[in-house]
Amino acid sequence: MKLNTGFMAKTFLDALAGVPVTLQLTLVTLLISIPLGFFMALGRMEKKVAGRLVGGYVSFIRSTPIVVQILFLYSLLPSLLNYLIKNVLMLEFNIFQVDSRLYAYIVFSLNTTAVLSEVFRSALSTVSHGQLEAALSIGLSKGQAYWRIIIPQALVSALPNLCNTTVNLLKSTSLAFMMTVKDITAIAKINAAYGYNYIEAYLVIFAIYIVLCSVVQICFRIFEKFVAGYKAPIAN
Amino acid sequence: MRPFHPSYIIEVLPQLIPYLWVTIAMVIGTVFFGGLLGILLAMAKVRRGRIARALADVYIYITRCVPSIVMLFVVYYGLPEFLLGFGIDINHFGKGFFVIVTFTILFSSTMAEVFRAAYEAVDKGQREAAISVGLTEFQAFYRIVLPQCIVVAIPNFTNAVVNLMKEGALAYTIGLIDIMGKGQLIIGQNQGSYALEIYLALMILYWILTIVFEKGFGYLEKHLARGKKLLKAV
Repeated sequence: MKLNTGFMAKTFLDALAGVPVTLQLTLVTLLISIPLGFFMALGRMEKKVAGRLVGGYVSFIRSTPIVVQILFLYSLLPSLLNYLIKNVLMLEFNIFQVDSRLYAYIVFSLNTTAVLSEVFRSALSTVSHGQLEAALSIGLSKGQAYWRIIIPQALVSALPNLCNTTVNLLKSTSLAFMMTVKDITAIAKINAAYGYNYIEAYLVIFAIYIVLCSVVQICFRIFEKFVAGYKAPIAN
Repeated sequence: MRPFHPSYIIEVLPQLIPYLWVTIAMVIGTVFFGGLLGILLAMAKVRRGRIARALADVYIYITRCVPSIVMLFVVYYGLPEFLLGFGIDINHFGKGFFVIVTFTILFSSTMAEVFRAAYEAVDKGQREAAISVGLTEFQAFYRIVLPQCIVVAIPNFTNAVVNLMKEGALAYTIGLIDIMGKGQLIIGQNQGSYALEIYLALMILYWILTIVFEKGFGYLEKHLARGKKLLKAV
């Protein structure tokens, strides 16, 4: 088996231009889904009707492949949004000129929100209810109680799962090429198509993803130590 | 606004359902081979051998960091070339073979973690007690430790199988005709129309499959955990 190393080096450099795109997809998706997922988890724990709806949504999203979600939303959204903008909002705005990253954000956010709501639900249930009651009894508002008392404790048990979710999200952004987003996979594939060097191209993507995932995991490891800091004196 | 015909969802289902067996066969084949490899990896991680453990760790780390679609293409394009170097020609093998190889590689690392966690969840005293009453090492594992491991492993195992089935939808990208592949073929035949309806039909099929898997394994878990329940009742 002979690998075209010259091609691999060139593709590696080209594909590095896709790294910011992949990271951007991951970060924006996380920024959208973390608050949404958190409120969904709260809704599922407290309200009955809302809980049912959220439960159905989570079950549906989590049991369908992300490829199908991507293909479905990518064939539905552009024309639907166009219709809404032209006929409902009456705006002169061409949705077809918008960068296709918009659709990637929507699909990955829908998906990650569902996963994160489960992560947060299990994390919140590790904090005993007495903590909330104690916080309320000394006069904190509900928002303060969550922000200052519950969330810092829940975060410690949520972080390993959050790390897993982030890694999975990073991996699934490799499917963004189906929405014509030029991420690492797309660039390497385009390069490969010239000379049919698919093996080399995919090996390059393979290596880049290992590095990216390692970086994400190291960041989370550091963050975990930082967040769990309040526990350290007890351990000593 | 593009037209939408909900009735087509039901019309297309009979065309997709015959291909369910491909999806299910892929899952079963991968669970079998991936499970075997997972057991070996878990053993390497649990036992004391340092080299074996390091190798297993590296394998698990790498396979968990790679997107399935990348792994799928690396195997599909790379494996035949690689084996050709040893004089083995597998270019004529079916696509199902490459799909199962790919997902075996990915699934085995998940399985290794599931098995290891389950094995460590069972108290060491169980094995010691079994040996002290005169069972051999193998009997102690097979009759005492294993049945308890399985109960612990089932929820994670179910999750892994459902994820495998979902990732398996990517197999259409190398041309395997499972329900996803058939759906894409029908869309192609219709020259792109009815795409929304077909994707919805596919989602419904996957949703049903997931619920069936979850309910089935949930029932199995209850059935196997009946020994534990008795202890609690006492």
